[in-house]
Amino acid sequence: MAVDVFSVPIFLVVFREALETVIIISVLLAFLKQTLDGPNRDVKVYRKLVRQVWLGTGLGFFLCLVIGGALIGVFYTAGGNRWENSELNYEGAFSLIASVIITAVGVALLRIGKMQEKWRVKLAVALEAPIRTGGRKGVIKRFLEKYAMFALPFITVLREGIEAIVFVAGVTFSAPASAVPLPVIVGLLAGAVVGYILYKSGSSTKLQVFLVASTCLLYLVAAGLFSRAVWYFEQQKWNTLVGSDAAELGDGPGSYDITKSVWHVNCCSPQSEGGNGWGFFNAILGWTNSATYGSVISYNVYWIFVISMFVVMRFREVKGHWPLRKPKSVAQPVAGQEKGQESENDGIVERRSAGDEQTEC
Amino acid sequence: MAWLRPPRLSSLVRQLGFLALASAATVKYDFEIGWVTANPDGMAERSTIGINGQWPLPRIEANVGDQIIVNVLNSLGDQSTSLHFHGLFMNGSNHMDGPSQATQCPISPGSRFTYNFTIDQPGTYWYHSHDHGQYPDGLRGPLIIHDPDSPFKDDYDEELVLTVSDWYHDQMPGLLDFFISKANPTGAEPVPNSALLNDTQNLKISVEPGKRYLFRVINVGAFAGQYLWFEGHNMTIIEVDGVYHQQAEATMIYLSAAQRCSFIITAKNDTSENFPIVSSMDTSLFDKLPDDLNWNVTGWLTYDSTKPFPDPAVVDGDYEPFDDWTLVPWDNQTIYGEPDQSISLDVIMDNLDDGANYAFFNDITYRAPKVPTLYTALSAGELATDATVYGKYTHPFVLEKGQVVEIVVNNIDPGKHPFHLHGHNFQAVWRSEEEAGTFQDSGVTSANFSEVPMRRDTFVLYPNGNIVLRFLAYNPGVWLFHCHIEWHVQSGLMATFVEAPLDLQKSLVIPQNHKDACAAAGVPTVGNAAGNSANYLDLSGQNVPPGLIPEGFTTRGIVALVFSIISGLLGVAVIAWYGFVGMADQPAVEPAGAGVVSPADPPVVVAEPKGPTPTEVSLVDGAGGGGTRT
Repeated sequence: MAVDVFSVPIFLVVFREALETVIIISVLLAFLKQTLDGPNRDVKVYRKLVRQVWLGTGLGFFLCLVIGGALIGVFYTAGGNRWENSELNYEGAFSLIASVIITAVGVALLRIGKMQEKWRVKLAVALEAPIRTGGRKGVIKRFLEKYAMFALPFITVLREGIEAIVFVAGVTFSAPASAVPLPVIVGLLAGAVVGYILYKSGSSTKLQVFLVASTCLLYLVAAGLFSRAVWYFEQQKWNTLVGSDAAELGDGPGSYDITKSVWHVNCCSPQSEGGNGWGFFNAILGWTNSATYGSVISYNVYWIFVISMFVVMRFREVKGHWPLRKPKSVAQPVAGQEKGQESENDGIVERRSAGDEQTEC
Repeated sequence: MAWLRPPRLSSLVRQLGFLALASAATVKYDFEIGWVTANPDGMAERSTIGINGQWPLPRIEANVGDQIIVNVLNSLGDQSTSLHFHGLFMNGSNHMDGPSQATQCPISPGSRFTYNFTIDQPGTYWYHSHDHGQYPDGLRGPLIIHDPDSPFKDDYDEELVLTVSDWYHDQMPGLLDFFISKANPTGAEPVPNSALLNDTQNLKISVEPGKRYLFRVINVGAFAGQYLWFEGHNMTIIEVDGVYHQQAEATMIYLSAAQRCSFIITAKNDTSENFPIVSSMDTSLFDKLPDDLNWNVTGWLTYDSTKPFPDPAVVDGDYEPFDDWTLVPWDNQTIYGEPDQSISLDVIMDNLDDGANYAFFNDITYRAPKVPTLYTALSAGELATDATVYGKYTHPFVLEKGQVVEIVVNNIDPGKHPFHLHGHNFQAVWRSEEEAGTFQDSGVTSANFSEVPMRRDTFVLYPNGNIVLRFLAYNPGVWLFHCHIEWHVQSGLMATFVEAPLDLQKSLVIPQNHKDACAAAGVPTVGNAAGNSANYLDLSGQNVPPGLIPEGFTTRGIVALVFSIISGLLGVAVIAWYGFVGMADQPAVEPAGAGVVSPADPPVVVAEPKGPTPTEVSLVDGAGGGGTRT
């Protein structure tokens, strides 16, 4: 897989964003089909609402493309040269943002079922809420409530899309421009396909294996990105210190700060021209030929954090409360919490209902 | 603006010397070295090292055969110092040569030191500090030895001394800190801020029509070579570095740092115009050319001070200076025969593990010993002929008295280097073109050498080329051989010749004031390069340069890589665990046609935890079936 036509990190994130978007749409459409296309048929309303869903999705998607295209265009034309002096700072910042986003969002792939549930709940609440009238306050809010079928997919697609764009923009700093289109397209297609499969056939072990594997890969990429971000910041400081001579030093002595170096080999640099293979290792695993204390320690710290995060989340799932905190008491009335609390991070939705029912399955 | 008239004193001394025949004088100087401020290029005032409150420094002048005594008092307050008399053989007085930690201890602030030696060589020389890269801060001045018996004495009417120099606005300690640091990994030498003629600019030298002037020109700079020419006038070279040569005509000469050249200029017979003198720095040495740098300095031969002083003409294309290698020595000394010792030195610049760039002869970069090399030679007894006692990093070579010694220097660096040998001048037997490669590979043999080679004590080596030098080891002493670019002296481009050390032990007595200076500086005067006076062959503790940069992975790197791989694998395992363990008790991914919540149903959902749960949540099937697997 040549890195200069296919950037794996871009593929992974676009795939993930596409997948979540397709899930939302599939839930909405299925719901509409269920309620309005079944025994209590109301064709006109059904068609109208389906149109709303597609309109919302389509507009959100289109807006994403526009904004994304504009942002990337700006980066490449106006920003390209101006940032040369502190180019690595920007690369570092984007790598960091990308890493954080993946870390926060990646876990959802492992709980697709929860994702579906979350959307079902949101949907139900949105449709259930009475349309409020009166006053200039909350015009937008009321509009959104009335046109929930439009607003939900629109906002979600927009949000997911911008997330993906920020990441793509950050990654494209280091990858050549030619490595962007293909993974974006493939990611969209793959997300759409998988989403459709989910729509039709539900989950299975094979699907879970696939999801687990792709999430592992995603986190490896995020770990690499985090380490790289730290590396970029340190390298920028070094380039500023050495000044104009830095460019002519290649991979040899003087191209890096030897007092901070943990290892350095004069070959195998992901940055160098013929660095295709090593660039791939850099993208997936964060490999660098010139590692610093910062880059090595940050890589390990990242994994420690992720491991703890997953262990804690599992604890929460099993025990129902965060570790070291008291379990919450039963049956707390929760007026006005109709939408429920949710943590975007892990897709867990917890709801307390007034007069809760207990049902064992 | 400065006017220069030939000093009356020198001609008086010459006349006296002539009358006094063989009676040699003692010339005494009391030099108090201290800080003054100076602004020779009018661009920046800076602290400069002066002597007796004065800068430019006083000239040392004497006749052949005179004894010179220089009493030095270091009033700098914050730096040590020393004085080296460049080009003088110091035969029998090696301890007066001057380089710190080679032939003496540094002179600490407040200490005194007396240099006392006899001159037996005529010519144009100079004196300068030879301690921690100090002389470019101003401590350098001319030293002229007059010769009543000069073969050219009837060829000129007056003598003038002219110095050319580069000049920095910043002080050397700060510049050196940057030069040898990880922030300068390419070893780029700091670029000078301007050029000076006689330590000033816009110098005007008044000349009378028809008179013949002997110009004694010295490059007292730190770094830059200088191209020198006098518009409208030719130069007749008679002496370089104190060695008389057959007269040679030149329109432009090149002087590297530390080189000297004496030539005769005949003034024109009419006074209708004044002629520019230009000295132009060799910018091929500079890492970059700042926009505000004027690398030329101008002066004028003034025939008539009322006439205009024209700007110098721009020279198109490359400079074509006189090639000093083509000179023929006046005494026709033929080339020394096959050498008894041939030393090959490769000039290499490389980085060490502190990230800084250092200069090497072969694989050794110079580090000063703990005991000055001369004092080791004097105290080591029989072991003084064993190069080990002088340490590895002084790069010592022991020479026997009377040997013909050959030095082959190969330049493995794309920069020019002027090489200087203390205590001798040498026959410049061969110089290759630029890019000729090493001497050993070039196919040149002694058949190509000059039969009557020119002689001097500072000779330029071209980029990626080679030179061959020969001299006779008749002068017992510790003599340094080094590049005279002061930056490279500090970064280690230096070797030490220990010539006839056993003879030194018999003849040399170190005066008390030298020993006092050592005591004040806290430097031992007996022992080997590591300061060990019990076992001279034990060099542990000698001063060493930073280590070599490790090739590839070190232990630290391997540990870090393995640890990181383990973290990654562990992380991936945890993720997989989380993903699969969730399958058992998480809501399954449902086909979209199922499990849709209808608005009528009570709100729903999530996670059915295993084990006791304080919060019960219910999962309600919507119409249409499907459900959550538990």
